[in-house]
Amino acid sequence: MADPATLTPAAEPERGTARDALRAFWADFRRNRGAVIGLAVIALLVLVALLAPLLAPHDPTQQFRDALLVPPAWQPEGQGAYLLGTDALGRDILSRLIFGARYSLLIGLMVVTIALTGGITIGVVSGYFGGWVDTVIMRIMDVILAFPSLLLALVLVAILGPGLTNAMVAIALVLQPHFARLARASVMNEKTREYVVAARIAGASNLRLMLRTILPNCLAPLIVQGTLSFSTAILDAAALGFLGLGAQPPTPEWGTMLADAREFILRAPWVVTFPGLAILTTVLAINLCGDGLRDALDPRLKRG
Amino acid sequence: MNKFAYLCGAAALALSAPAAQAQVLTVCLEGAPETFNPELTSNGTTAYVLGQIYDGLVSVERGGSEIEPALAESWEVSEDGLTYTFALRQGVAWQSNDSFTPSRPFNADDVVFTFHRMMDSEDPFYEVSGGNYPTFNAKLADNLASVEKVDDYTVAFTLTKPMAAFIGTMAHGSLGVTSAEYAQAMMDAGTPEQLDLAPIGTGPFQLQAYQTDAMVRLLPFAGTWGAEMGDDLRTPMVDAVVMAISGDATVRLQRALAGECLIGLYPNLADKETIEASDTVEAVQTPVPSTGMLHFNFAEEPFQDQRVRQALAQAIDMENFVEVIYSGMGHLTGAVVPPALWGTASDIGPWEYDPEEAKRLLAEAGYEDGFETEVWAIPVSRPYMPNGRRAAEIIQADWAEVGVDVSIVTYEWAEYIQRARAGEAKVGMFGGIYDFPDPSQIPNNYLTCQPDGSTAPSNIGDWCDDRFNEVMTEAGSITDQDERIALYHEAQQIVHDEVPVIVLGGADTITAVNTSVQGYVPAVFGSSRLSGVTVE
Repeated sequence: MADPATLTPAAEPERGTARDALRAFWADFRRNRGAVIGLAVIALLVLVALLAPLLAPHDPTQQFRDALLVPPAWQPEGQGAYLLGTDALGRDILSRLIFGARYSLLIGLMVVTIALTGGITIGVVSGYFGGWVDTVIMRIMDVILAFPSLLLALVLVAILGPGLTNAMVAIALVLQPHFARLARASVMNEKTREYVVAARIAGASNLRLMLRTILPNCLAPLIVQGTLSFSTAILDAAALGFLGLGAQPPTPEWGTMLADAREFILRAPWVVTFPGLAILTTVLAINLCGDGLRDALDPRLKRG
Repeated sequence: MNKFAYLCGAAALALSAPAAQAQVLTVCLEGAPETFNPELTSNGTTAYVLGQIYDGLVSVERGGSEIEPALAESWEVSEDGLTYTFALRQGVAWQSNDSFTPSRPFNADDVVFTFHRMMDSEDPFYEVSGGNYPTFNAKLADNLASVEKVDDYTVAFTLTKPMAAFIGTMAHGSLGVTSAEYAQAMMDAGTPEQLDLAPIGTGPFQLQAYQTDAMVRLLPFAGTWGAEMGDDLRTPMVDAVVMAISGDATVRLQRALAGECLIGLYPNLADKETIEASDTVEAVQTPVPSTGMLHFNFAEEPFQDQRVRQALAQAIDMENFVEVIYSGMGHLTGAVVPPALWGTASDIGPWEYDPEEAKRLLAEAGYEDGFETEVWAIPVSRPYMPNGRRAAEIIQADWAEVGVDVSIVTYEWAEYIQRARAGEAKVGMFGGIYDFPDPSQIPNNYLTCQPDGSTAPSNIGDWCDDRFNEVMTEAGSITDQDERIALYHEAQQIVHDEVPVIVLGGADTITAVNTSVQGYVPAVFGSSRLSGVTVE
């Protein structure tokens, strides 16, 4: 049975039901403690990213030439001015991590937006029309999926040229088939339902049926996939940065920081550790949050 | 039959030395040998492996830069400087393997065969294994007219024009002598490529087995000529050499620290302290005659003005640069010829760091607001540039101070070389390592141009200066060393004044050597030898 709230056009939602749905969702979400912690960490990261210029003690690209490879402040040779130490060029690691949060979140957001928009468009068209349109689109998606994702991203970046924007486009293209498939499956599932048939009989156009009637009911799995892709995107961008194909210097992107510090793993472990921890924490938080979203949005899991 | 003999041998060995433990020298290499014929490669790792197996006509003194006799006992130069006559050593034995047993010692036929293969595209062996001889083509092909046998132990090399660096070039590891008899045997057997896969040399070690990308095993060649003449430095002293291949520098160091390899090549310079803190491993420091440079592209308008180039040179804090990039093991210099080599102009320092003066010069040249440019960073680690990207970031920050906005560009190494040589780099890092002890190599390859204006292949900025070319040509055509030193000084001064490149310097290299290893001397030129090395 379809939820009555989605039957009504989105332009004029019934206030009570929308708020109720949100409240029910939050109650479900809150039950998962990991998800709440994840959400808190993400909120904190967003805050850090937004307030980066205020929070960072130094300019992330300034090279302090009298303070090369200074250990974190709590170690004997550490200096209070550089809480997490400095890298080989004397740049403050904490400041770079703080500014790096901006890049990581930006990468995640941009990639998911591009992939989600593209994937939904393709998936809905494919699932709604079926027939040869579906066959052609899905075979193309299969071809993209047949490549190991990082390899394909590498090839795309090699063609487009290294840089943060190109890396984001490449990762979005690689992730996009997942959204397309998911959207297509949901649309095929929904399009034979009574409410869709009813809307069709009432004279709704194809576009209206696709976007207004069917799509809102397919969003739950897409949101979950989007959240999980957010972390994949950050990881892939870090990997590209690590291989020298992502963000270009002196951008303080976490993956690039990790790659630059590799040779100091024995002599100055802090230079490698902190960017690695930053990536780990962020990805873990987003994944936990994504799991919680899935549990809260999936009706089958909700009752179980 | 073979097995029986082997068993007998093993039993005899066991009986004769019941208490002595077999001495196995283990070496951690940074890459796999790509071929087993030195002619076919210019790769340093391959040269390290093959340097144990093959000998050249002459060699470089261990740990030094003097040329000494090897397969040639002596040589003479004709009056016009065009003919070099080598008197070859007699009674030098070839190694053998399962498919080949030599019937005669080394002689002039082998030398003629070795060079003929690389010179003459009609030679039956020319096309075997691809027909590409990088070192020979780059350094000798244009100058060598003929190699002829005078008698069994005399060979004459005729040049097309006088070449001061000829003897030095002959010491290059890629010009090791291969056996003509072995080549003929393999040709007759229908497997000519075996010549390049199963090496037969005259050196102190012979190949026992190679596991692709994992391990090279060498056995001592007891009949090597060095042992026969009682030269300890050319005699294999260990019972086996095992070269384990691990690509990652940190992994190689860990293996050396754990005692898995007694010699660990090329650890990260940054890990020197870790090695020094260890009780079992020492960091052996060796100067590397290499020069790293930042080339200005003369096709770019701002760089045609000497004031701009000098300003940019003065804008770099070279002291900090050398300290950071070469992990404290670099040398601060403004001379193109590195301090490890004769002919270096030790009185030429880098341009003095003075951002104010740099700004003034830029303003004088009409760039008071600065300009935008690219710096190309080499993507691989080389002795002259261990970390190109980090170097570029320092330059980026320094030049930003004087208003020059830099974006950093890099490509995969092969593509980088190709694009840089095509003149695409606005400001490009480039550099090289001397293969043989003659100061002409880097200035010639990286800075000269022809009278028609075409530049040397590695002159990526297309700098062309008549006075510099004249001095270099003159220095290359005479053999008196003192005169040559004076001329190379002059050439280096011209480079310093004109600033077609900023000399970035070069670093010493370190090798992690276990304290149980005695007598290992890393080579300054070419590859280090494991003969004369013992393990306690």
